[in-house]
Amino acid sequence: MDSPEAKILIEQKQELIDQYLQGQEFNFLEKMTTRLDEYFYRVFEKSIAARKMVISGNPFAIIALGGYGRKEQCIHSDIDLLILFDKAIPPDVEAFVQELLYPLWDARFEVGYAVRSINECIKMSFERFDVLTTVLDARFICGASLIYSEFMEKFRQQLSAKHLKPTLNYLYENGEKRLADFGDSTYLVSPDVKSGFGGLRDYHTLLWYAKIKSNIKTRRDLEYYGFLSHFEYENLEDALNYIWDVRNRLHYISQRKNDTLHFEHQAEVAGLMDYADTSGAPQVEVFLGELHEKMEFLKQIYQITFEDIVSTCRIKKETVASRPTKTDGLFVKKRRLYFANTVTIIQHPDLLLRIFLESGQTRIPLSIEARRVASEFRHLVDDEVRTDPACVKIFKRILGMSMWKFNVLNVMLSTGILAQFIPEFSSLVHKIQYNQYHLFPVDKHSIRCVQILNGFKYPDDTMMGSLYHSVFKEIRNKNVLLVAGLLHDIGKADPAKEHSRRGARIAGPVVDRLGFSPVEKEDILFLIENHLFLAKTATRRDIYDEETAVYTAHKIGKIRLLRMLFLITVADSKATGPKAWNDWTENLIKDLFFKTMSIIKTGELASKKTQRLIEKKKKDVLDLLRESWREEEVNRQLSAMSRRYLLYVSPQNIVEHINLFRNLGDREYIWQITKDNESDMRTVSICGKDKPGFYSKLAGVFFQNNIDIVGSQAYFLGDSYFLDIFNVRPPQDRLFEKEKWEKAGQDLSMALEDDHYLDNVLDKIPTEVTISSGSRPEDSQVRIDNETSSFFTIIEVLTYDFPGLLFAITNTLYRAGINVNVAMVATKVDQVIDVFYVRDIEGDQKIESEEKLNQIKNAIINRLPQMQSKEVMNEKN
Amino acid sequence: MKKIEAIIKPFKLDDVKEALSEIGIYGMTVTEVNGYGRQKGHKEIYRGAEYVVDFVPKIKLEIVVTDDRLDETVETIRSATNSGKIGDGKIFVLPVEEAIRVRTGERGDDAI
Repeated sequence: MDSPEAKILIEQKQELIDQYLQGQEFNFLEKMTTRLDEYFYRVFEKSIAARKMVISGNPFAIIALGGYGRKEQCIHSDIDLLILFDKAIPPDVEAFVQELLYPLWDARFEVGYAVRSINECIKMSFERFDVLTTVLDARFICGASLIYSEFMEKFRQQLSAKHLKPTLNYLYENGEKRLADFGDSTYLVSPDVKSGFGGLRDYHTLLWYAKIKSNIKTRRDLEYYGFLSHFEYENLEDALNYIWDVRNRLHYISQRKNDTLHFEHQAEVAGLMDYADTSGAPQVEVFLGELHEKMEFLKQIYQITFEDIVSTCRIKKETVASRPTKTDGLFVKKRRLYFANTVTIIQHPDLLLRIFLESGQTRIPLSIEARRVASEFRHLVDDEVRTDPACVKIFKRILGMSMWKFNVLNVMLSTGILAQFIPEFSSLVHKIQYNQYHLFPVDKHSIRCVQILNGFKYPDDTMMGSLYHSVFKEIRNKNVLLVAGLLHDIGKADPAKEHSRRGARIAGPVVDRLGFSPVEKEDILFLIENHLFLAKTATRRDIYDEETAVYTAHKIGKIRLLRMLFLITVADSKATGPKAWNDWTENLIKDLFFKTMSIIKTGELASKKTQRLIEKKKKDVLDLLRESWREEEVNRQLSAMSRRYLLYVSPQNIVEHINLFRNLGDREYIWQITKDNESDMRTVSICGKDKPGFYSKLAGVFFQNNIDIVGSQAYFLGDSYFLDIFNVRPPQDRLFEKEKWEKAGQDLSMALEDDHYLDNVLDKIPTEVTISSGSRPEDSQVRIDNETSSFFTIIEVLTYDFPGLLFAITNTLYRAGINVNVAMVATKVDQVIDVFYVRDIEGDQKIESEEKLNQIKNAIINRLPQMQSKEVMNEKN
Repeated sequence: MKKIEAIIKPFKLDDVKEALSEIGIYGMTVTEVNGYGRQKGHKEIYRGAEYVVDFVPKIKLEIVVTDDRLDETVETIRSATNSGKIGDGKIFVLPVEEAIRVRTGERGDDAI
């Protein structure tokens, strides 16, 4: 359809856009609105269908709704239209809509329309919130103005008569829902300049609230009716014009109604907004910094509005008169905090901190004037204030009050008081890191980190939420955690340098001024210096390897540090943005936390004492091997060995193993039998490629050859080798000892080849054993500990020694699909405590199923012979 | 053309990337995934509360190669990730019908 009116409109629009982009048109939104209005006049004037309806007694009004009603038309904004009749809707209206709207649709305008009668429209308004808000913005364009005024009068009347509270409630709930749907858009990589928090919707909400409450007509009335102060209003105008500018350019670039400033659009928009350095390249960081500042302001306005809505809905009406606060020198008026006068601030500069404490405690926001005053007088926060114990205490309390819904620390930052109190912080202010990973400038990020840490104060229904909560509860000194959270990125001012260590150095004097004890200081600096450690380890090392947890435990050392580091890692990642944090990363870090926790708790492998012992042993081994080995080669070997091994194996045995390992080559295993001169015992050192059941087969072969095992230890080396030590009595027949060992070696090879080679040996395990010690024997016990280690199920067997004992136990385990990774077997006189660290062969992890654990326990007990004492035997005889 | 999908341990990613770039393969798609095979999830107990991990975090690599490079690529991935242990991962090979480079419209092997 060729419409001359639409043609004019399209031409006008193009002209307007050209002028606007050339910087010659500063009032685009209103001009665009006027051009649209004019189009509707023209079509209405000429329309025969419209005239017919009027003549037949069906006058109607054409009304602009939503953004068009507010005269805020961006390049590709929707056009919302209402064609309103008094009562009945005549069928002719269809022809009129065709005349009016088809040309616009053809020209790709996004037009939505509704045809309603007054009563119908009022009914819908109070049923549907989205209809209600568009009606709040309704503006008469042309037609029968009486219908419009009658409608608005009825609407207002009903609104104030019975719908006021539910409507305000709607507004409140809609705000909550918007937060859930869109999240906080300020500082997002792709901020939504309309619907996100900090977007235009924040301003709309304020406007709707004012329209509902006081029936204001335009934005200007926000100040006249006292919803905003003069300063607030001026700032709002400034922020809105800026964001509309961004939105217009975004529409222009995307050639459609698009309100999300995607990463790939940012440079282009920055260019169009004339952000350029001397070479003409767009300065995206500067642009984003400024956009975020404006969005932050809208968010602040919204949060103040939100407070007002809550207080109108839920609290009794606040009197207009001012009232004093608990803190001298401040007062509250219309739910905003003010300084009583500036002279008091000069006399008591601590008021510049106290106002934030008061605000945090009462949840009454600082008025924009108070923010301005605080900012102007911030130089009064000098060294004396910074080191004053009372002020330091106030600051620490403020830190604990930084929450999502009411973040007083953010206000402290925006007034410059925070950077004044901690001058080291000023290098971070508005420091934007332009990439897809970091969403926030470093200052905001640090505060979000504190805010997230504080959030752990409250229990949470989710599994992870409850974990963070319970870890948080166990942290005694929350100030240490919060200050470390605030300062963790303090080293980031210089992007080129490694920021963790640098940060710890910069933070030192800050922590001193904040009056922390030497131990607390050490903790804070440790947390800052290592705030990336857990996340790095979790993603770059094998967390299913015990050595990773041991390494982590050794580095962190103390449980309280691990707890704090864990929470800071979580808060830091969450505060960085969704790319740094997701279920996947959360799982890895949580697992590492648990595993490290159990290592530190057990203390066995990561304590200072262990460390000293191991260092000493390494030195001894080096000394022993000095002649035949190069030092770095020995160190390489030692670093591949597990800590448990280094802790429990003697330097002499380690040396044996290193030599064995060198000679292993492609063989399945290699062993060496050494004679202990003092006790006439033999030590068999064995090294080989790990294979399930190997340990059990060794025990079986020794039993088969009547070699009596006194003690034994088994370890693993790296991923795929094992090192075992057996202390055994020599064979009875010393003459042919060498041949005996050779025979045992042949049997072992057979057993490795044939899984059932040792089956007949099983029958030789005694079913009854007589205890020589005299007293009545205790029952054999099998204890299973599944909590101490995150990596192994620990099985302890307490019983009396008998030939074949080790084979009886380990064969049972092997047949149950269990691999022995570590074993410590010791005999004291005739009593035995055998400890096995085992894993499921199938899944190569500890055994989780209770049922399986019980089966194993019973299988071992049943395999062990009946224990009888000599006396009992004697009585029988 | 073949598509290789490899599920590997997270900390092996850098090794694989390096090994592949050594044989001249620079392009791949990397996704953080969760799953389980023979290596199952597990539970941890903290302060009496159980924290269950149903899935094991893994990395999924997707690489499309020409047929003649398939074996070499698979072998490179395998040797970079093989520790002989459970949980080392799996490699799948799928046929690819067509590849198109969006910018130029090139098709087939040229688009890889």
